[in-house]
Amino acid sequence: MFATKILRQAAAAERAPMIKFLGKRTTPASIDHTPKAHPASPYELPADFSKSSSPSFSSYRQKAIQHGPLGRQNTGSIGSASGQSLGSVKPAKGEYFDRNELPARFRRAPLDMSEIDAIETGGATLVC
Amino acid sequence: MFRSLLVPRVAVRSAFKQQSSLPTVVAPSAIARLSKRSYATEAEQDDLVVIGGGVAGYVAAIKAGQDGMKVTCIEKRGTLGGTCLNVGCIPSKALLNNSHLYHTILHDTKARGIEVGDVKLNLGTMMKAKETAVSGLTKGIEFLFKKNNVKYVKGTASFANEREVKVNLADGGEQTVSGKNFIIATGSEATPFPGLEIDEKRIITSTGAIALEKVPESMVVIGGGIIGLEMASVWSRLGSKVTIVEFLGQIGGPGMDAEIAKASQKILKKQGMEFKVNTKVMGGDVSGDKVKLQLESAKGGKEETVRHNHSGESQCNKCTDENMQIDAEVVLVAIGRRPYTAGLGLENIGLETDDKGRLVIDQEYRTKIPHIRVIGDCTFGPMLAHKAEEEAVAAIEYIQKGHGHVNYGAIPSVMYTHPEVAWVGQNEQEVKASGVKYKIGSFPFSANSRAKTNQDSDGLVKMIADAETDRILGVHIVGPGAGEMIAEATLAIEYGASSEDIGRTSHAHPTLSEAFKEAAMATYGKAIHY
Repeated sequence: MFATKILRQAAAAERAPMIKFLGKRTTPASIDHTPKAHPASPYELPADFSKSSSPSFSSYRQKAIQHGPLGRQNTGSIGSASGQSLGSVKPAKGEYFDRNELPARFRRAPLDMSEIDAIETGGATLVC
Repeated sequence: MFRSLLVPRVAVRSAFKQQSSLPTVVAPSAIARLSKRSYATEAEQDDLVVIGGGVAGYVAAIKAGQDGMKVTCIEKRGTLGGTCLNVGCIPSKALLNNSHLYHTILHDTKARGIEVGDVKLNLGTMMKAKETAVSGLTKGIEFLFKKNNVKYVKGTASFANEREVKVNLADGGEQTVSGKNFIIATGSEATPFPGLEIDEKRIITSTGAIALEKVPESMVVIGGGIIGLEMASVWSRLGSKVTIVEFLGQIGGPGMDAEIAKASQKILKKQGMEFKVNTKVMGGDVSGDKVKLQLESAKGGKEETVRHNHSGESQCNKCTDENMQIDAEVVLVAIGRRPYTAGLGLENIGLETDDKGRLVIDQEYRTKIPHIRVIGDCTFGPMLAHKAEEEAVAAIEYIQKGHGHVNYGAIPSVMYTHPEVAWVGQNEQEVKASGVKYKIGSFPFSANSRAKTNQDSDGLVKMIADAETDRILGVHIVGPGAGEMIAEATLAIEYGASSEDIGRTSHAHPTLSEAFKEAAMATYGKAIHY
């Protein structure tokens, strides 16, 4: 009996378990809330997370005052709706942004050097 | 100071409009009332708006509701639970379990002294059983929403500005929801394979793989990760000839220990699955009865295939003619998942995603707009439901108390094949690369009494511990019940336990968990039964 007790004491002295009861979990007294990289993030936090940097454009627009808040109340003004909500920027069928997108017969004929010279000299090069 | 005394210009203007007959006389109280009305949204603001009703989103919403927050959860699918409950973890587990039972009854009863008669598969009923499990669980979440006062809006949300989302309601119409805090939890979608168009009939993702109407004669799985191998298991058990094509030299995807991956591949091969590792799919042709895939060795011609018994040269004619092309009735694309944030209107609030489509967040899940947080699959970390759940709770705690906790070093991974594969912490390759001196203890299930009595003794437990401190760095299991057993390892890592702590903890006999204890004993000393 006594021998077992001694053996147990010796064993206990040899080994201290790594799992220890630390008490009830509590919220730390001071927490640093400054943005830092997320633990699972493969890279550092982008610069625009820092408080000193400018906020996003839309938040700036809501706060900025020129002649009233920019664009929020006046529906239909430029910038009041997102580009995406305005739909595709492609021209309608049969419409073109540029003359050079039209079929070849409607395009301007290419200029040659003599024509350019004639325009620049007011036709003098053609006369001489 | 001066500005605060002024009445907002808009309010004055609208007050004039209201009383146009008396433009010069406006009661101050009316101005005050009208000015309040023009900024009335504040009173209707929720404390929290959660976009996405998947595992991350619904857990965040319930937790917020429990903590007394006024919370709205917006989900477009029509049912709660996201990918996990509707088309992911849950339906696949229903099929895995029932297909395993079918396979066992078909092939593994005689040696157990059970004689069965004619065994038939009724795929329709098996699918119905899956759907019953899914609908029961999704409705359960709706009940929990009601119980915890979470408002549930069915529709597609898009940010109008930093404080408002517009919701295209599923039943038609539009609703604006405003909130003091937002959580984006829109999850992920299957990554498509370039050149193969997903039709969910012949070229399928995991969503199609849990809803096939008949057992395909043959199936090729592109990607030997967890999802691919689980689905391969289901259809192989039900009678398909399944071939898995994996670009890398080992199956299991990122994180799986190489030794465990090798052991798993051996076991799965024994079950009838074929593997083509170090092989890439160059393209596919869907014009014929069967889908034809062109394969190429990923390692300079030295293709490591199970079928390859030809000349062994890089220019093997037989391979060029036969093996480098593979036909299948169905091709499952399982090359991974990518974050899903389409249609969220991120451009309206100036939020951007990184090169992998993830929303960038800080340590408290905040985006650069601090009251908008992101959790789950659409941001950093492994795309796992239980990781998303942890983040959901932590994000609410950060909002409520300013302090939350997720240990990314102790997130378990499980592959629900048979036997299951599970791991937590670092694998041997990662520990080696970190330069830490380590020791390994392993124990095979073939030496575990319970596994023997169950006639299910394939696999092993492998434990990695710091050579100096004995602290457990990683645990890797392939074997019966690995998915349940890994919880003990996760707890040990969370607490910073040593292998001796586990080895000296009593484990009931006869249980599979004794293999876990013995692996721990083998790490700091010697296992008794091996």
